[in-house]
Amino acid sequence: MWRIWLLFDPRRALISLFTFLFVLALLIHFILLSTDRFNWLGGHAPPSAAAQHMSTLPAAPSQ
Amino acid sequence: MADERRSLSGLTEHEAQEFHKLFVTSFIIFTVIAIIAHVLVWQWRPWL
Repeated sequence: MWRIWLLFDPRRALISLFTFLFVLALLIHFILLSTDRFNWLGGHAPPSAAAQHMSTLPAAPSQ
Repeated sequence: MADERRSLSGLTEHEAQEFHKLFVTSFIIFTVIAIIAHVLVWQWRPWL
């Protein structure tokens, strides 16, 4: 496996890897911040995912 | 220089092995930290 570094220049590989991971991390964090449930700065905690699923079920007939 | 065969990347086999050792160690540390972070987030709010 170490022979990969005979093919790819470690400096370029590391810069590419770090750049990719940084952009990916930024993307994931912003996606999470844009949601209600996983926004850790937003304040209110919505009900659990299971409860959210339950709430989408049709309501029982009232009669 | 004459006795060391240079590769496409310019590294010798010894240098490649040395770098690979460091790379794998760093990758394992990164993965462990990521797993810990995911466990903490799962405890905070599970997503499934």
